[in-house]
This record gives sequence, structure tokens and C-alpha cells, in this order.
Amino acid sequence: MLSMRAIQKVYRTDLVETHALHDFSLEVKAGEFVALMGRSGSGKTTFLNIAGLLDTFDGGTYLLDGEDVSRLTDREMSVIRNHKIGFVFQSFNLIPDLDVFDNVDVPLRYRRLPAAERKERIARAVELVGLSSRLHHLPSQLSGGQQQRVAIARVLAGDPRLILADEPTGNLDTLMSREVMDLLERINARGTTIVMVTHAPECAARASREIHLLDGKVVDTEQPAAGEVRVPPVSANLAAALA
Amino acid sequence: MLLHNLHIAWKSMQRNRALSALIVVGIALGIALSTTFAAARHAFAQNPLPAKTKVLRYVRLDSWDPQKAYPGDGANTVPTQVTYRDMAELMKSKIPVRQTGTFKTMLYVFPDPKVSRPFKETIRVCYADFFPMFAVPFRYGSGWDAKADASGDPVAVLSREMNEKLFGGADSVGKTVRLEDRDFRVVGVLDAWTPSVKVYDLTQNRGVGAPENMFISFAWWRPMNLRTFGNSDGWGPSPAQRGIEGVMVSEQTWIQMWVELPDADAVAAYRSFLDAYALDQRRHGRFLRPLNNKLSAIPELMDDFRIVPREANTLLVVSLLFLAISSLNLVGLLLGKFLARAPEIGVRRALGASRLDIFVQHIIECEVIGLVGGLLGLALSVGGLALLNTLMKAQGARPDFFRLDTPMVGLSILLALAAGFVAGAYPAWRTCQLPPALHLKVS
Repeated sequence: MLSMRAIQKVYRTDLVETHALHDFSLEVKAGEFVALMGRSGSGKTTFLNIAGLLDTFDGGTYLLDGEDVSRLTDREMSVIRNHKIGFVFQSFNLIPDLDVFDNVDVPLRYRRLPAAERKERIARAVELVGLSSRLHHLPSQLSGGQQQRVAIARVLAGDPRLILADEPTGNLDTLMSREVMDLLERINARGTTIVMVTHAPECAARASREIHLLDGKVVDTEQPAAGEVRVPPVSANLAAALA
Repeated sequence: MLLHNLHIAWKSMQRNRALSALIVVGIALGIALSTTFAAARHAFAQNPLPAKTKVLRYVRLDSWDPQKAYPGDGANTVPTQVTYRDMAELMKSKIPVRQTGTFKTMLYVFPDPKVSRPFKETIRVCYADFFPMFAVPFRYGSGWDAKADASGDPVAVLSREMNEKLFGGADSVGKTVRLEDRDFRVVGVLDAWTPSVKVYDLTQNRGVGAPENMFISFAWWRPMNLRTFGNSDGWGPSPAQRGIEGVMVSEQTWIQMWVELPDADAVAAYRSFLDAYALDQRRHGRFLRPLNNKLSAIPELMDDFRIVPREANTLLVVSLLFLAISSLNLVGLLLGKFLARAPEIGVRRALGASRLDIFVQHIIECEVIGLVGGLLGLALSVGGLALLNTLMKAQGARPDFFRLDTPMVGLSILLALAAGFVAGAYPAWRTCQLPPALHLKVS
């Protein structure tokens, strides 16, 4: 699904050069749930931005779904982001003056889908995250957990092959975090590849693979032991919604 | 997608109403000024009779003093009107399919005493061809025919307003109107007729007045001893004859002379006829200046008579500059407004928006602002034109001489869109160039 080899990313100012990613290589197979861990400044977010075609890189090769992304135009990268990649952010990144329906609608608009299909996809995605009754609420009228579920519904409506999550539970309390992680796990169970940046070991523990970054390099990869069950119990409501 | 972008634009305008209002007012002022002065210029400059431009020609002859040219800017200026005797001779030509000499006079109208007291009224004196030549619209009846000109029938045509005043707006064809001491039979009543300028007589006040309210045949010039109420110029010694007989043989120019020539051959033939006439007159001691006869189409005539005041052009240029400067001043405001939205732009880019999508979204927002400003500006320009109409009233202009017609409204909307684009193109371009990753984390 995602193959990076010897990726280099340097941020330059007049005085300083910062190597955000240095000889960074990573393979993520389709259907994997990968957790990326590391200290602040280790290159996690830079990796996510490059993986999500939101930023460029200075060297190396990046193949997404077998396609070399370094030669893509802005328009082509936008199409890939819109069709293949879904983003979940720590701060939810909902558009404040659009209600739930319109927020979920944003990526579908850029896909130029017909209104009837957009409406159907939105209804299905919002139902999946259990927010059908809040369709016309503004983000400011929702709790943090609900906002993150709207952000996930926005991803689900686009039906991407790859989800890039940047500390998706970073702004949530324990209960909300668990609900969001349950949701991501279930989405992964349906075959969607997830790469999640997190600081929380309990969240990373639910991924099928943990990758540790230090100074822009992969330093350690940890896979579950044979027979280890890493999926915690799913809440009853969510299980019913996803059944 | 357009509807989506319009929706976003509307929401964005509501998000910061004070800033949006400031930008809208900036554009509105520019549009109001430019629309007002564009409409003012348009009122003078538009062709009042485009359908007849190819066939109507105004006749001018250089019958002036051989010792000095007719007063004007150039050495080859010619009198703006023709003498009676020249008109009478030219009217004998068979080349034009229609022709008329015309002037305005002033007479007392004696209505039914139950309706009104007698009043003075300006009256257009012309030949029968006047009405079809200038495409004059009729509500009742029609103009008179050439026989009436020849026989001197006492016939008259009334404007809609005069018919309203004298006959309450009813069909007055066949009824009688008393002018001075003679009764005239009404043969036609005009429908609403408001040519932009009074094209058939541009010799006074740039033709800004309304058409006259009554029309009678030229045949009544001599019997009623009618004198022009318009401009007249002359030179040479006073003729021995007195009164109207003297006017007939004098070098007084006071008649507007129009011919209708169906094609280029007819125009060429008529030019030759005019030159031949002038040369023939030279043998009788007239037309001693170099041959300089003019046969002008309406646009050329409007240029010669400087119907568009120089001030109208200057004010239009100044107002367009004001609009351009207003728009450029808004660049900074819009840039600040758009850049403040960088996190949202980052999200949209992450969700699949291309740079072009972001540019289009913001340009549409600018165009919405421009349109709202344009509509407000249009409303303000109505007030501006009303003020100009008040000022022009003193020059005899009709009350609605300056008005917003469809082309002017269209121009204003185009100007508003252009102003929106000028103000928004750079901010929209800068916004779409924002690196999407930069603002996602902090949003």
C-alpha cells in the first residue's frame, strides 16, 4: 500500500538546516493497522504529511499503491488525497461554520459526486458513527468525542483505502478515546489500511504493528506476539452500530 | 460546485460582517461613481436612432461669408443649419426617398376653455416625411401625407402628453386644436417617444430636451409668419424686403435639413447634387467659399456637434480610476481575511481540494462581494443620476434624461465583477499557494 525508501526531508532557514526525516524507509501493507510512536520532533507528523501528499520530500522514493508520487501534479495529488486517503486529526479539523452534514460533504464535493449519492454516503457514514440525530449541529454544539466521530464519518463517506490519523485521541478523555479507537479498529477490520501517529501506548497497543521513530529514522518495529490478542473490548453501542 | 462555493462565500461574508461590510462599501462607492458617470456619458453618446443610422443624413452647406469662415474650431467649419432658400431648392431633389426641413417655433394654444387657459407651446414645424424618417411611434392615427404639405391642410400631430392635456388621453384624431387664430385638425397622436437625444435637432443644448408636444406642416410657415424659436445664424446685409419675405432671401441659417438615402449610390449622387447646387449658386454670387458641403450620418453629426461633453469623458475616466484604486485598496483587506483562514484551507486541501479549487472558491467569494457591492452601488447611482437630472433641468433636459437602462445595469455588474476580480485575484492566488501541511497541526 505504502512504500517509502530512503526518504529525506530537510527544513531550511537562512541559518539552520533541520533533517526531519533522514534515510526514512517504511513499508505498510494493505489492510495493516500501524502505530507510529516517537518523541516530539522525531518526524512523525512530517512522515504523515509526506504520506498524505500534503508535503514534498527532498530525496528517496515514495510509492503509494505502486505509484511513484514524486512526479504527480498538484491536481493529481489532490485526486489521490480525495479518493484514496482519509485524514483524522488530533484537533478534529472540522470547518466551524458548516454543520455535520456539510462537513462530511466537503470531500464528496471535491469528488464531484451527484447530490443523491453524496446524501446517501453522508447518511450512511454519520449513522455508522452514531450521530444521525446531530446531522444539522454545528461543531461548536458537539463534544470533542462527537467532533472526532464526525471527522471519522467524513473519512468513511469517502471510502478511502488508507487512513492517516495524527494523534486522533490526543484531545479526548479516556472514554472518548476508547470509542474512537474502537471505531478505527472496526474500520481497519473492514480492510482499510490505517497509519496512526500516537503518543499513547494504550492506543499503539491496539495496532497490529508499532513503529518507533527517533531523529527522523525508524529505530524499532514491534509486532504482536503469536496468539496475542491486542483488541480491547468494544463498547456495546459501537458494536451495535458497526454490526 | 458553484452552488457550494456560493454557499461558502455567503457563510464567509457572515463570519466577519464588519470587514465584509467595509469591503462591500468600498466597491459600492466605486461602482456608484463609475455607473453614474458612465450612465451620464451614455445618455449623450448613445445613438438615438440606430436603425436609421445607415440611411439618414443631415445636410449642411457652406453658404457663409466668403471673407471669414463660420465660427468654430476648424477652418472648414460650416453653418449648422441651412437657409430657407437653400432648403426650398434642395427639397426639389428626387434623389432622397424621404426628406424634410424642420425647425421649432412657439405658438399660443387655445384649448377648450373648460380644459385649460391658453398657453404657449413649442411646436415642431416639418414635412410629412419627418415621422417615418425618425421612426416616430403613433398611438392614434398617423402623420399627415405629402398632399397636406402641398395643399397646406391645417393638420397637426400631438404628443401623448399634449393629447392627455387637451383630450384626457382619448383618441383625438379628427378633433380640432386652435393655434393662434387657426384651427388645426388632429391627424395623429404619438405614443411614448423618448429618444436619448433629440436627434432631429442637435443645434440647441446638445439635444437634451424632450421632443416637442405638437407638430404642424411646413406649409404653415408663411401663412402664419412662423419664426424660429431655436438658434439662427446669418451674415451679410439686411435684405430690402421686410418680415418673412426678407427671411426667405436672407443668408439666415435656421432650418435643420434631413434626407433619407437608401444606399451608398444615393449618398454619392446626393453629394454630387449638393456640390452642383453650390456651384450653380456661385454663378449667382453665393457660395463663394471653397466647396464644403457636409452630408453627415448621425454618429458623425453627434461628433461634430460635440454632443458628448468633454467633462462627461473626464468624469468617467476619473470615476473608473477611483473604482480601480478602491479595488486595489481592498487587496490588503481580502488578503488578511483569506490568510486568517489558512487552517481551513489546509483541511480542504487534505480532503482533496486542488490549488485551483481553492483559487476558484476565493475568487467566487470576491465576486459575490463585488456583486453585493455592485448592487449597492447601483442603488446609490440612482440617487446620483437623480441629482444630475436636477442639475440638467436648468438646461431644458427632460426629467429622466440620465437613467439606468439595461446596458448600463449590465455594465455596472460587469464592472462590479471586474472590481471583485481585481481586488481578489492576488489574495486568492496567495491563499491557494499556502502549503497545506503547515496549518493542519495548529488548527
